[in-house]
Amino acid sequence: MNLWTRRLVMHRAIQLSALGVATPLAINLAAIGEAAAFDATDYKALVCIFLYGGNDWANTVVPFDAANYAKYHEIRAGVAGEEESGIAIARADLADTALTPLDGAVLTDGLQYALAPQLVGLKRLFDAGRLGVQLNVGTLIQPTTLAQYQDSNRVTNPLPPKLFSHNDQQSVWQSDGSEGSTNGWGGRLGDIALASNSSNAQLTCISASSNAVFVAGRDALQYQISPNGAIRINALNGPLRNAVNNIVTRSSTHLLESECAEVTRRSIDLEGTVNTALGGVTMTTPFPSGNPLAKQMRVVARLIGANATLGVKRQVFFVSLGGFDTHNGLMSRHHRLMTWLDGAMHAFHVATIELGVASKVTTFTASDFGRTLSSNSDGSDHGWGSHHFVMGGAVKGGRFYGTAPHVSIETDDQVGQGRLLPTTAVDQFGATLAQWFGCTPSELPGILPNIGNFSNNNVGFL
Amino acid sequence: MEEIERDVEAESVAEDSANEDRASGLIAGAAALALSACGAGGDGSPYGGGYSPPPPIPPTPIPPAPAPGPAPPPPRDAISSTEAEAVRFALQAQFSVSDADITALTSTGWLAWLKARYDEPVGETGVSWLNSQGTNAITIEKRYRAFQFGDYMIWNQLLAGPDQMRKRMALALSETFVVSLDSFTTVYPSYLIAAYWDVLTAHAFGNFRQLLEALTLNAGMGSFLNTKGNLRENTRGRQPDENFAREVMQLFTIGLYELNPDGTYKLDANSKPVETYTQEDVTNLARVFTGYDWDYLSNGGTSTPVTWERNPVPSTHLATNPMRFNSNYHSRIEVNFLGTKITSTTPGGDALHIALDHLFYHDNTGPFFARQMIQRLVTSNPTPAYVQRVATVFGNNGTGERGDLKAVWTAILTDEEARAMPTAADTLFGKMREPIVRFVQWARTAEVASDNGEYEIDDLSAPETMLGQSPLRSPSVFNFFRPGYVPPNTAIATAGKVAPEFQLHNETSTAGYINFMQRVTRNGIRDVKPSYTTLLPIAHDIPAVVDWLNLRLTANQLTSETLGVVRATLRTFGIKDSSSSGEKLDMLATACFLILISPDYLVQK
Repeated sequence: MNLWTRRLVMHRAIQLSALGVATPLAINLAAIGEAAAFDATDYKALVCIFLYGGNDWANTVVPFDAANYAKYHEIRAGVAGEEESGIAIARADLADTALTPLDGAVLTDGLQYALAPQLVGLKRLFDAGRLGVQLNVGTLIQPTTLAQYQDSNRVTNPLPPKLFSHNDQQSVWQSDGSEGSTNGWGGRLGDIALASNSSNAQLTCISASSNAVFVAGRDALQYQISPNGAIRINALNGPLRNAVNNIVTRSSTHLLESECAEVTRRSIDLEGTVNTALGGVTMTTPFPSGNPLAKQMRVVARLIGANATLGVKRQVFFVSLGGFDTHNGLMSRHHRLMTWLDGAMHAFHVATIELGVASKVTTFTASDFGRTLSSNSDGSDHGWGSHHFVMGGAVKGGRFYGTAPHVSIETDDQVGQGRLLPTTAVDQFGATLAQWFGCTPSELPGILPNIGNFSNNNVGFL
Repeated sequence: MEEIERDVEAESVAEDSANEDRASGLIAGAAALALSACGAGGDGSPYGGGYSPPPPIPPTPIPPAPAPGPAPPPPRDAISSTEAEAVRFALQAQFSVSDADITALTSTGWLAWLKARYDEPVGETGVSWLNSQGTNAITIEKRYRAFQFGDYMIWNQLLAGPDQMRKRMALALSETFVVSLDSFTTVYPSYLIAAYWDVLTAHAFGNFRQLLEALTLNAGMGSFLNTKGNLRENTRGRQPDENFAREVMQLFTIGLYELNPDGTYKLDANSKPVETYTQEDVTNLARVFTGYDWDYLSNGGTSTPVTWERNPVPSTHLATNPMRFNSNYHSRIEVNFLGTKITSTTPGGDALHIALDHLFYHDNTGPFFARQMIQRLVTSNPTPAYVQRVATVFGNNGTGERGDLKAVWTAILTDEEARAMPTAADTLFGKMREPIVRFVQWARTAEVASDNGEYEIDDLSAPETMLGQSPLRSPSVFNFFRPGYVPPNTAIATAGKVAPEFQLHNETSTAGYINFMQRVTRNGIRDVKPSYTTLLPIAHDIPAVVDWLNLRLTANQLTSETLGVVRATLRTFGIKDSSSSGEKLDMLATACFLILISPDYLVQK
């Protein structure tokens, strides 16, 4: 029995035992010292920040050196220059967030990047070695060249399903399958962590956003939490207590009714545990107000702070920010979104320092897809590869990972209008995070199914 | 939030002048009006530079309509044999049920009842209601910038007025053809959403093709999916915006994969689904939707200079007028999409006509639309045969018309699969009632009324404290939930089935909903309060109260266990005929509350 199978058997056994079913198998497995990585006494959490709508990478990690900036400006503004124009940011506005890699690496065409001007907190984290930039990562089944992309033989040159479609590429990013997928790689990581979280295994995979396939496993369930903690059903504390409890939790043979009740039962069962644990956390780090991402990240930080109380060793969290589908009004919309992203991420990292878990928490961004480099007059269109951030005390930050794309709408690292052809696969990006989380190389294919098609299963940022 | 508006460009016809990309103004329309006022139009038009008159009657041949599909059998008809069957029918067709509905369905039958619904006049429109509320007033109060009147408008539309089947169908349409009030960034968000809603209600009993064109040219849709201000390609690399072109195919008409007439995927030689379109099709089709912008002035549109805004404030016509076409900004490149060609010299109006026809007549459109509407109204997992029967009616209403929506609704509601009474053995039939439908059903059944006529119900989207869903407030064009959503790790998933509405259901939203319903069943929301007029006189008769609610809220689908708990709980209130109305209202609210949170109610079977 390989590690993957044994862990699966083991946590299923623990689930059974929670239901009162005798499970000698679980005891036997435990007795032979299974699941070394996850039986460790440490705690680790992965936090996925999903940028719904497809983030405009070109105005997030922006060419800054004069030669590459000139190309960027020419494409995005339609004219030469360094002033804000079209959907090009003014070069002078990028000076304060220009990045110098700590390892002195020289990028494609001598590129120097700057972060969006609003990302001042992330710039500080980059300089402090706590933030890394993954360049041109996207959904891929196998390494793919432009010629292979253009080839009509999809048997030898398979592509991810429904490129450029929001809902499908969200799903592919999160789960490796198009819409309708029922488990994601965060959830599958949760599956192998269930056994380590036996006292509160249902709090392994948590969304502080809406329902997301990323945090659904084959066995691990998504638990959803509001920014204010778990929601208590008021009627359960009043004279209607028994009637309400009876009605809302009663089982049914009808599958839809049964699922209605199941979710409510879970809500009730965990509410006390979660809110009690949250109540024991002291965390004074200020999070920006009026920031829809910050309020999610704040409750995630508090939950992480409660990990010892809850008895959990490994957790996967999902938070999100919407509004990135910047077909128009890109400059003003993206400005606001970057402000929110920066404020939330920076505060979250500071909070993990306060909680003493900065090196135990790795946060990364993800999005439907990147966007075009070219302009549709005041916005950009659906693309493919994109740049993303990894943040945390364990991150080898201050550096770029992957391959920088040319600033071009003609080179062979893009498929037209500057839609980037990814040079790092989501599976490679995910595998790097998964191995830090404690997943063994032999377990990777069960979590990131295309990883075997790539020669490198670790991008190196952790 | 002040967002600079892209506006009518001061572009000369010459290619690519440096100042091409936008003329800006705080308020959309101001630039155009200013140009008009100073006579800078250049072509003598009232619109400033570049206005072209509407294209002449098509000189280019528009492909003739294909022959209609095979004629379907005539719609089924019957008289509902029980009150429960009548209610079950009515609750699939509309929000709530009246005694008159029950009488009609049990005496004259399904088709007569439907015909009466189709013949009902359209009630007051959303725009008209906003006008009656003074939302169009250009005063320093700036109602023209406020969003909440859009919410009040739609709640008024859903909670009041007799034409509720039309409204129910419009709500279903609004969840396929999505525009969200959240998205607007200009003046008159409430009018933009109201005018869009009015398009849906106006065409709900009309034809799909006219609906498709009307929503394509609607100002709110133009803003939401960026047809507004969509500019042709230029020599500096600018490309048409692809948003509407992509979503009109993916979400509004044909979907992602080639479909059989029963809605199942066609498979290729490798047993893989066949994609309907490529990125090239999207890029090509996007050219058709260039050259459109809001029309501020037609039909008496005006502009009012005011002291508190930098630019004159336009009238609501920007929202109510269909977008206008300007050939200067229309693509000059040939369009090849889905096997059809539109030459580069085709006038814009003809190009739109050809493109929308091509989507309308696509083999996918009938089954794609039919399946989603069945899901909204009847069941999450219709059989392929059910989808095919409805799709056949979409293709031909029996008299050769394609896209007749009345015929589609009739086919969905009278189908044998919709009408067969659910059995205990069928553990999947039906759908979860979405939160909006639950709330509106309760409100109409509890006979809510507004004491000031303002319907001040705000956005109810927050799942932790509110209903968890609010009409016309979808977070994106992908609706509140997707037709293919599978709740992970459930018996539903194991069975290979979908349950779209469960995308909104989680530990937070279920608790938030229960708390919300407990509040509103007793207190209502702001000026909108329940009266329980019919129930108050019988409040002391608990079996009668419970029977009345069980029939009207669930078509007698509550289990005996739920009924037992509800009756026992109500008895603890000790209501007598002589009890105060406050005490009676407490009990009636509790009766509704307990039913509305029960899984047997939440799943409409």
